[in-house]
Amino acid sequence: MVRKRSAAAIIGIGQTDWVTDWKRVRAGEKPADSVGYAAQAFQQALKDSGIPKGDIDGLIVGPTTAYERMGEVLGLNVRWGGQADAVQSVLQAHMAIEAGYAKVIALVYGNDQRSAGTQYGGPAAMGGGSFLSYVYHSPWGMTSQGALYALTARRYQEERGMTEADMGEVAVAQRAWASMNEAAIQRKTITVDDYIESRYVCEPLHVFDYCLVNDGGVALIIADAEYAKKMSPNPVSILGTGRSDLNTGATSLEPRLTDYYLPAQQQAGKDSYEIAGVGPEDMDGFLVYDSFSVHVPLALEGYGYTEVGTVKQFLTEQGIGPGGKLPVNTHGGHLSESYMQGWNHQLEAVRQVRQQAGARQIENAKTIHYTSDVAGKCMSIIYGR
Amino acid sequence: MEIAPTPQPVPLVYDIPFWESVKNKDMQLQRCADCAEWRYPAGPICSQCNSENAVWERVSGEAEILSWVVFHKTYLPAYPAPHKVIAVRLSEGPIMISNLEGKEPEGSWIGERVSLCYSEMPDGMILPRFALSE
Repeated sequence: MVRKRSAAAIIGIGQTDWVTDWKRVRAGEKPADSVGYAAQAFQQALKDSGIPKGDIDGLIVGPTTAYERMGEVLGLNVRWGGQADAVQSVLQAHMAIEAGYAKVIALVYGNDQRSAGTQYGGPAAMGGGSFLSYVYHSPWGMTSQGALYALTARRYQEERGMTEADMGEVAVAQRAWASMNEAAIQRKTITVDDYIESRYVCEPLHVFDYCLVNDGGVALIIADAEYAKKMSPNPVSILGTGRSDLNTGATSLEPRLTDYYLPAQQQAGKDSYEIAGVGPEDMDGFLVYDSFSVHVPLALEGYGYTEVGTVKQFLTEQGIGPGGKLPVNTHGGHLSESYMQGWNHQLEAVRQVRQQAGARQIENAKTIHYTSDVAGKCMSIIYGR
Repeated sequence: MEIAPTPQPVPLVYDIPFWESVKNKDMQLQRCADCAEWRYPAGPICSQCNSENAVWERVSGEAEILSWVVFHKTYLPAYPAPHKVIAVRLSEGPIMISNLEGKEPEGSWIGERVSLCYSEMPDGMILPRFALSE
């Protein structure tokens, strides 16, 4: 069965004030907890959609917040619900709407990772002693998500003939975009020299290759296409989706280290392109889940924006920053805007298609591509009209 | 002076023979008794042929470095920065995370041939590590 095109559309978006909360948390305050941030974002998204709250009959909550508590706080007793990360949430909402389980679904995410002191490496890292890598990696001192990506980046750079300066193009471009985004936390532009002179966290990755860690929330309202057309002045459709996973050798890092997720990205991309009836050449902008900068070159090759083996030329000669050939992570991504675990990228896709991205607006943007490759689970979503 | 403990593995039931073999400085991996596929990590069935029959066999100890990193931030007391980690592919096929003992290559480490050795950590734990092959 061919999946129905444009079964669902986004009709509302909301977020918390990441910049203010960043400053407050750094000053030692605790502005909210994860439920609080999510609720603030939901209020914005509901207002943005203009629909009555009573029409919401689905709820998906980010993994950082208890589902039942979130529903209780928002006053939503839904006929379909669940818990998922950003990209899975969008895909699940799309599936639930297409299958008729719900008509209007609220997606809410809140995270107090900064004020709560969440660790992404070391003995107190998320998952703690039950995390798989504690058996297979940590006895040798291998811990932290960044280190896993540093291992990937080292080999990938060597195979692709990339220098650290080439790699720095990602962070430099995203910071340039963030400088045009008032909602971005890090807005000071950087040069490739700044990048090279910056400190390493886990070599070869520099501090600018790492995502921020900040508090905040994001919410989206996704509705059945018919409902969206009737109720929203500016709906943004989900034109195509795809997913493909690499699990063989996952614990010993084979998909990251030698495949660079490539076969899964190619499959997920192909499926989404076929459903949407567009290809990479038709995209006005490309948004990539970027907990670390290395996700970006991997995705450029994996989703067919450049031939495999030529990403260095794409980054340095064609460009992904303002004025470049392909606008990538125009909000600044996780590196510079906000680390909302993929949720902020969905908001940026909607803003670009709505022509509401302010100074960083891609002229006449109609089609925006979002991809993620977290731990070998590759997903592709095409937004547009 | 207090000795920083080596991060302890939290082995799943199938991993226990691996850590026993390491303790005896005789590193063994699980292998399918039917199709001879090597497994790391160990598991309940063969991912290739679905057989439930398995044996444990000593590895050759020969390997090649796939990648390496240098931690400039200390995450674990036993491994103060700068701390180096390697990923190697054993000649039997599986990839392992480990550390390089002794002499370091000049320039890129990728593709360097290494051989298995055993390190006794300050707290007495035995770890399988690798050194550049002669």
